Amino acid sequence: MYAIAAARVKMSLSYKSSYLIVLFLNLVTITMYFFFSRLNPDMAVFGISASYFEFVFIGLALQFIVGTSLATVNGSIYNEIVSGTWSSLLLHFNFAEYAIGTTLAGTFLASFSIFISLGVSYAFFGFSLSVSGIQIALICLLFLMILLSHMVISMLFAAFTIYYQKNSGIVPLLYQLTKTFSGIVFPIALLSGFPTILSRSLPLTYGLEALHNVILSESIQWEIIQRNSLVLIGFIIVLGILSFIFVSKSIKHSKKHNKVDWY
Amino acid sequence: MNVPQTPSNVTQQFIQENDSVSLYSGLQAVFIRNFKILWQYKFTIIVGFVNTLIAASLFYYVSLLVPQNIIRQDGYVVSSVSFIFAGAMIVDISTKIMMKSMNSFTSEMRQGTFETLSCLPFGLKRYFLSEISFEVIYGLIISILNYIPVFLIFPLFIGFNISWSSLLTLLLLLVCILIFFFSLSLLAANFTILVKRGREISMIVVGLIHLFSGSLFPLDLFPEWLRVIAYFSPMTIAVRACRLCLFGNGVITSEIVWIAIIALLVSSTLIIFLFNLSYKKIYNRIREKGTVHEF
Repeated sequence: MYAIAAARVKMSLSYKSSYLIVLFLNLVTITMYFFFSRLNPDMAVFGISASYFEFVFIGLALQFIVGTSLATVNGSIYNEIVSGTWSSLLLHFNFAEYAIGTTLAGTFLASFSIFISLGVSYAFFGFSLSVSGIQIALICLLFLMILLSHMVISMLFAAFTIYYQKNSGIVPLLYQLTKTFSGIVFPIALLSGFPTILSRSLPLTYGLEALHNVILSESIQWEIIQRNSLVLIGFIIVLGILSFIFVSKSIKHSKKHNKVDWY
Repeated sequence: MNVPQTPSNVTQQFIQENDSVSLYSGLQAVFIRNFKILWQYKFTIIVGFVNTLIAASLFYYVSLLVPQNIIRQDGYVVSSVSFIFAGAMIVDISTKIMMKSMNSFTSEMRQGTFETLSCLPFGLKRYFLSEISFEVIYGLIISILNYIPVFLIFPLFIGFNISWSSLLTLLLLLVCILIFFFSLSLLAANFTILVKRGREISMIVVGLIHLFSGSLFPLDLFPEWLRVIAYFSPMTIAVRACRLCLFGNGVITSEIVWIAIIALLVSSTLIIFLFNLSYKKIYNRIREKGTVHEF
C-alpha cells in the first residue's frame, strides 16, 4: 500500500502543470465566491450562524479532495488497463491495497489545496477560523469518513471498468451532482422535491452538514454529528462490500477471458 | 505526391495550394468525418444534457441567495436568477466552444491522427480553419440544444421583455462573441500542438473568463485594480453589454454595447494576426523536434 501511494505521488508530481492548474482553478473558484459573498446572502434564514464566505469556503476546500477520492481508483485502474500495467499490478498487490494506496496518494496531494486556499483566504479575503482541540478531532474523523465513502464509490465504478475494459463516464457526472447538490455553495434547505432526494443520496451532503455544524455552529449539535456519521459509515460498509464483490467477479471474469490488459 | 525530405519541404508542401483540394471539399470532408465520430459517442451527448442541467441548477440555487433576489447594474434592476443565468450561460456556451476545439486537437495528437491530417495536401492552415469551424458550429448547436431542458424547467426569464432593436443588437453581439472565440480557439490550438496541453490551456482561460466576466455578480463588487484587469478580457464588457441589451434596453448606440463590439472585433483581428504569424513557426518547430504526435 505504501509502495503504491509513494509511486502515485511521484507520478502525479511528474505532471506538475496539471496539478498546479487544478490548484489555480480552485483558487479562482474561491475568489469568485468571495466576490459573490459581497452581495451579502443572508445565511441566518437557513439557520447558519456564519457569513456566506465562511460557509462556502468549507465546501469548496473539500470539493477538490472529494473529486480526487471519487475519481482516483477508477481512473487509475482505467489508465493501468490502457497502458498494460494492470496485470503486473495484480500479481504483486491485492485490490484493497491498490485502492487505498492510490486514494491516499491522490488526497495527500489534493489536500495541499486546502492549505493554499486557507492561506489565500486569510491573507486576502479576511477569512478567520478558530477551532478547538475537539473540533479538530471531529474534523479529522469526518474528513476520513468522507474520503472513504467516496473511495468505495470509485471502487464500485472500477468494477465496471475492469469488467468492460471501458470507462463508464459516470464518475464525472456523479462529481457534478456532488458539487451541485451536497450543499457546497448553497444550503440544501433551498432544495425541494426531487433535488432533495438526490441531495440525500450523496454522502458528501451528510459529511458537509456535519462539518458545517462542527466548524460554524456556536455549540456542536452532537445529534447531527452522530446521525450523519452513522449514515457515512453505512455508505462505507454497504458500498465497500458491494464493490469488493463486484471487483472480485470482474477480475475473475477478465482473467477467465484472458483480457486483463486487453483494450 | 512528392515525399518531402526536410521540415521546410514538408511545410512548403502543406501550404502550397495548387495541388490541394478546394477549401469547400476539405471543409465538407472534415465535417462529415467529425459527425461520424460524434455519432459513436451518443452517451456523451446525453451526458451533456444532464451536465448542463446540473450546472444550471447550481446557478439557479445560488442566485436565490441574493438578498431580495434582485441585482442592479448599469441603471437597470433585474431578478438575480435572470442576471446570473444570462451571464453564466453566455460564458458557459462560449467557453465550451473553445474547450471543444482544444480537446479535439488534443485527442488528434494523442491518437497520432494529427500528423496524418496535417500531412494531407489540403494544407495545415486550411485544416486548422476547418477543424475549428466545425467545433465552433457543433459546439454552438449542441450547447444551445443542451440548454433547452433548462429553459423548460427553470423560471429563468419571467416577465422578460425585449425590444426588436435590443434583440438585433444582442444577436450582433453574440456573432461578435462567436468570432472572438473562433479566433481564440485558432490561436490556442496553435499552442496546443506546441505544448501538448490543450485541456490545461483551455481550463485556465475558461476559469479566468468566468471570474472576470462577473457571471455571478455585478462588476462593481470588484476593487478598482481588479476591475481594470478584468476589462483586459473582451468577454467582460461583452457580458455586460449582453445583459444591458437583455434587461436595460441596450441598443447599438449605447456606449457599453458599441465598445464591446469594437473590443471583440479588434481583439479577434489581433488574435488571427498572431495565429497567422505563429502557425508556420510552431509547426516547423515541432517537426524539427519530432514531437508531432508525442503526448
